[in-house]
Amino acid sequence: MNFYSYLQLLSFALVAYVIYLITPKKFRWIILLTVSTAFYLWNSGILTVFLLASALCTFFAGKVLSRFQERFNEEKKELAKEEKKKLKAYYTKQKKLVVLIAVLLDLGMILVLKYTGFFTDCLGALLRPFGFNSEIQPLSFALPLGISYYTLQSIGYIVDTYRGKYKAETNFAKLTLFLSFFPQMTEGPIGRYDHLMPQLTAGHGYSDERFIKAATLVLWGLCKKTVISDRASYMASTVFNNYYNFGGTSVLIAVLLYTVQLYTDFSGCIDIMTGIAYLFGVELSPNFRQPFFSKSVGEFWRRWHISLGTWFKEYVFYPVSLSKPFMSLSKLCTAKMNKYWASIVPTGCALMVVWLGTGFWHGADIKYVVYGLYYFLIMLLGMFFEPLFAKISAKLKIDRKSHICTGFAIFRTIVLVCIGMMLFRANTITDFGAMLYRIAACQDLNEITSGYFLTFGTDWQDMIVINSGLVLMLIVGILKEKGKDVTGIIANSKIYIKWSVLMGLILAVIILGAYGADYKSVDNIYAQF
Amino acid sequence: MEKLLEILEEVKPGVDFEKETELVDSGILDSMSIIRLVTAISDEYDIEITPLDLVPENFNSAKAIYDLIQKLSD
Repeated sequence: MNFYSYLQLLSFALVAYVIYLITPKKFRWIILLTVSTAFYLWNSGILTVFLLASALCTFFAGKVLSRFQERFNEEKKELAKEEKKKLKAYYTKQKKLVVLIAVLLDLGMILVLKYTGFFTDCLGALLRPFGFNSEIQPLSFALPLGISYYTLQSIGYIVDTYRGKYKAETNFAKLTLFLSFFPQMTEGPIGRYDHLMPQLTAGHGYSDERFIKAATLVLWGLCKKTVISDRASYMASTVFNNYYNFGGTSVLIAVLLYTVQLYTDFSGCIDIMTGIAYLFGVELSPNFRQPFFSKSVGEFWRRWHISLGTWFKEYVFYPVSLSKPFMSLSKLCTAKMNKYWASIVPTGCALMVVWLGTGFWHGADIKYVVYGLYYFLIMLLGMFFEPLFAKISAKLKIDRKSHICTGFAIFRTIVLVCIGMMLFRANTITDFGAMLYRIAACQDLNEITSGYFLTFGTDWQDMIVINSGLVLMLIVGILKEKGKDVTGIIANSKIYIKWSVLMGLILAVIILGAYGADYKSVDNIYAQF
Repeated sequence: MEKLLEILEEVKPGVDFEKETELVDSGILDSMSIIRLVTAISDEYDIEITPLDLVPENFNSAKAIYDLIQKLSD
């Protein structure tokens, strides 16, 4: 989405909000469903059938699972302990089958629509040595908006219903609203049924505080996107697409700018959507918590795209780690290895599954698989060397919680994350290797002193704006780290302060935003996933 | 409880597990440590821990973990 699409979205949300407020409380969720459907049809047209198919599959899977649970509860009443066990095993098997079918249907849709091109590409590459040069052409399909997000939401709901975390939804329209709530459809966050549904159907009224908080979040997100991200994107894309024309210093600056671009683009969009949802009284799950304050890569992923990390933890990492084959592997390792290896090997295997999944979720390209494996390797090495680092620190009497050590840990994490970002953005893995080599070889240091790097789309004025924005983000980040609710403070401050902040943000977007005839529009990066 | 404290010390050395009450919330135990811990206590106490049991409330303190073991042993 570019600046103008955001203006359209905000106008749409405001009209929807007025209709929402004038509708009786009891029917407000129907307004949310109607505007979400309209939004989806507006963006995806005929592809809306895939969302509808996913909603139908999720709804009926939930219904059948609940029915099995009720039957089990009813039939077990009169039974002895052993018979109860048998009955439970029978129903668990039936429920697992339902989950399997529903998840396969859900995943089937995304696999066909998003990954067919990748699979046909791979098949073509495999068959080329046997003389099939042009028979297999890569296939690609148009993607329905937010398919990567609502599919995970749907699977989460089905698994939770199977686990008995909550009862299945009995109203199809409400379940469809849960999967299609319009602020979540562009870039998430991936919501949970038990967290979202009560909020979606509560029918909230108007409050000044909510309006100011929502407006602050929307404008803050719009500032991040149009003032910082879009400005940073020009040089980043020029260098990433033509890195061979640049020295190591320009490539390094482009990598840093891309990291800034991606963070401000993604978190900016999430702020805007969180603000819009909050206007309707819905608090979306947080997706970022100052990720660049992380002391390790593991912590970074607990603060960056939180809803995706939590989803993979709860629906992939935990079930895989606790599955029978993994528990058997763990027992085998305990019997055959020392304690250190016995604890690392099974966790490492489960971690690999998670990171392969995370990489593949990001895109249908081998580059994203390598991206996932890159983080897997870093975490594995971290786990592997942790006892050694602890021993060395204890011997040298180094306080690992001291400011110096913390600062070093944050710096190390940022370096590793920036390398990950480079891999994420580079057009191919070969390009990534060549760019990394250029940086490591410190080629053309004079590109900084001569200002050469400022001649490719992001000039010195842009740099001043970007850096001022980053300083402001840093201050807000520090306040949040200290537990301050910044939007809450603004909403509860004196009237001239809150309106000054809002006006300041509006002016920042109007005056400093990168839009208009001189600028190319930049789509949201995570919307393509 | 002593055996549990030993296991905890093996999984995450150097933490005062008898006093700490925010093991998960404060990030001392991350998901990888939890899995290593769960594997160890499943073996030691012969219990089956499911993903549904893996919520912060069950792992925030040694006492909470001990209570979970007791509940699953019954």
